[in-house]
Amino acid sequence: MAGIKLENLIKSYGDTRILHGIDADIADGEMIVVVGPSGCGKSTLLRMVAGLEAVTAGRILIGERVVNDLEPSQRDIAMVFQNYALYPHMTVRQNMAYGLKIRGMSRAEIARRVDEAADILELRPYLDRKPRQLSGGQRQRVAMGRAIVRHPQVFLFDEPLSNLDAKLRVQMRLEIRKLQRRLGVTSIYVTHDQVEAMTLGDRLMVLNKGVVEQFGSPIELYERPASVFVAGFIGSPAMNFLPVRVEGDAAILPNGARLPAPARAAGEATLGARPEHLTPDEAGPVAVEVEVLEQLGAATLVHGRLEGTQHEMTVQLDGVRAPEAGRIMRFAPGQLHLFDAASGKRLAD
Amino acid sequence: MIENRPWLNLFAHLALILGVAIVALPIWITFVAASHEAARMMQAPIPMLPGGHFWENLRATLFGEGLSGAETAPVWRMLLNSLVMALGIAAGKIAISIISAFAIVYFKFPFRMAFFWMIFITLMLPVEVRILPTYEVVSDLGLLNSYWGLTVPLIASATATFMFRQVFLTIPDEMLESARIDGAGPLRFFWDILLPLSRTNIAALFVILFIYGWNQYLWPLLITTDRDMSTVMISIKQMLEAAEQSPQWNIIMMTALLAMLPPVAVVIAMQKLFVKGLTETDK
Ligand SMILES: Nc1ncnc2c1ncn2[C@@H]1O[C@H](COP(=O)(O)OP(=O)(O)OP(=O)(O)O)[C@@H](O)[C@H]1O
Ligand SMILES: [Mg+2]
Repeated sequence: MAGIKLENLIKSYGDTRILHGIDADIADGEMIVVVGPSGCGKSTLLRMVAGLEAVTAGRILIGERVVNDLEPSQRDIAMVFQNYALYPHMTVRQNMAYGLKIRGMSRAEIARRVDEAADILELRPYLDRKPRQLSGGQRQRVAMGRAIVRHPQVFLFDEPLSNLDAKLRVQMRLEIRKLQRRLGVTSIYVTHDQVEAMTLGDRLMVLNKGVVEQFGSPIELYERPASVFVAGFIGSPAMNFLPVRVEGDAAILPNGARLPAPARAAGEATLGARPEHLTPDEAGPVAVEVEVLEQLGAATLVHGRLEGTQHEMTVQLDGVRAPEAGRIMRFAPGQLHLFDAASGKRLAD
Repeated sequence: MIENRPWLNLFAHLALILGVAIVALPIWITFVAASHEAARMMQAPIPMLPGGHFWENLRATLFGEGLSGAETAPVWRMLLNSLVMALGIAAGKIAISIISAFAIVYFKFPFRMAFFWMIFITLMLPVEVRILPTYEVVSDLGLLNSYWGLTVPLIASATATFMFRQVFLTIPDEMLESARIDGAGPLRFFWDILLPLSRTNIAALFVILFIYGWNQYLWPLLITTDRDMSTVMISIKQMLEAAEQSPQWNIIMMTALLAMLPPVAVVIAMQKLFVKGLTETDK
């Protein structure tokens, strides 16, 4: 088993720089989720670790070994692709066995490993089928099986669940997590779905335009987002942001309401409040003019505007509530975040 | 159309029967002529029903000296020549073009696009256009009257390379990447993955190229002077001209019938793959 180390990893296509120096230290057996908006370079990063893209500058270490110049097959990794990339003309068994066969493993050992993987993934009944005779979820499992049989040091996943329907996605998400725990293989998992990221990762790397915005545990990212970008990306529904003026201990909202400032600052700043951290309170300082309600059953989302301004706000209430549109609701703030107005960086508490 | 009207059905069937009759009539007459004595074919009206000399004519055509009085080889020999040429052209073209398509699609090498365009340009140079220089080369190499001379110049062409290039471009990149992670080198990838995935296309191309090779006329005519090397297509033409007396229709028609069989056999044998190869899109 082995950890992964990325040292100032840079990728350029011609003059366009896609990744601007990524550093990461991934412990043995850890599962890292790389998350970010489309086009931020997630796949590129993963493919560099896999050896499918050349490294422009920097180093990649797997275990103690610098793998920059090694072929993918020599890196002791396994990758699960978004479209699975199963060989259409081979049966499930042959698909899983192909890599082992090339390595010159004995037939008995190949059979043992394929059977073992088939048991783990409940693929036994399908071993002699071709990929096109399988459902999406089953194909996904075959792709996983192909990774497992290699007993690699590292698993790489590139949005492996995005072709599945919502229900199956939740189920497979849990399976991947359990499997990874059970096998204890160091993993990098790429997704743009923040729920997937929060539930799967030991740690999350939030990538924005080829730069790491924050790298930490899901709770750390949720409770102490390092920037407006991370704060808006992690958590659903997304955090509310309001421009404020900080005077001493108070943050003054655009409509003049005063809140306790969560950090030391002076002048303009951005205040962040999660929808679930605002609680209804007749005497609360935050007044919201209700516009639309979304009843989710377990919760109610209130969409509206900060009273007297055009700033949109979302509040999440427990259970079923029915405040009327047009009414003013007042809230008391719980946890608040303060960010620099210009750079978007978190201001020290 | 799921309409079910009797008169419409009748009309459709009549139209189809008429079409089949138009196509089948010449073949039927060929067959009938091949089963009568030579003399019977010269009397009007020509017979429309088969006679009783089919096997006799078949034996005379295959093993006799073809046409009495003419300088042609027995027809089995010419069928064999045609077969070797057609198979050689089909197999050679497929082998060369699949390898060059592999190189063009999957490898980055200097002047890759230049080579691509060079191959492309040969599309504009079918045998008929380059026939004199090609003859010169083949004759200098001493390949006249040989199977090599018959096949090699016809193998070089670009159409098949293009087709394989298109086929390879439809195979997702991830397939190659997956194979790389599995440790397959270029040749293994070619052998284990590309070839099986192109199976139906190879079959379709084989059918087309076999018929192309079988029907070659001008080139074999030019380079075979030895009667033991001539092909069946040439011999039919020669039989028509060679006869000083009136043409021996029974033998000529039997030869034509025999010449039709191999392409038909290839089409029937490969029909399923052939249709798949032309229509299948998902990889
Ligand atoms: N071969 C290439 N040549 C030039 N630019 C490229 C190439 N491949 C990717 N890019 C660019 O690199 C950037 C990052 O691409 P990448 O595929 O890593 O994004 P991603 O984060 O995986 O996005 P998504 O969530 O949509 O998959 C994109 O802006 C893309 O246009
Ligand atoms: Mg991607």
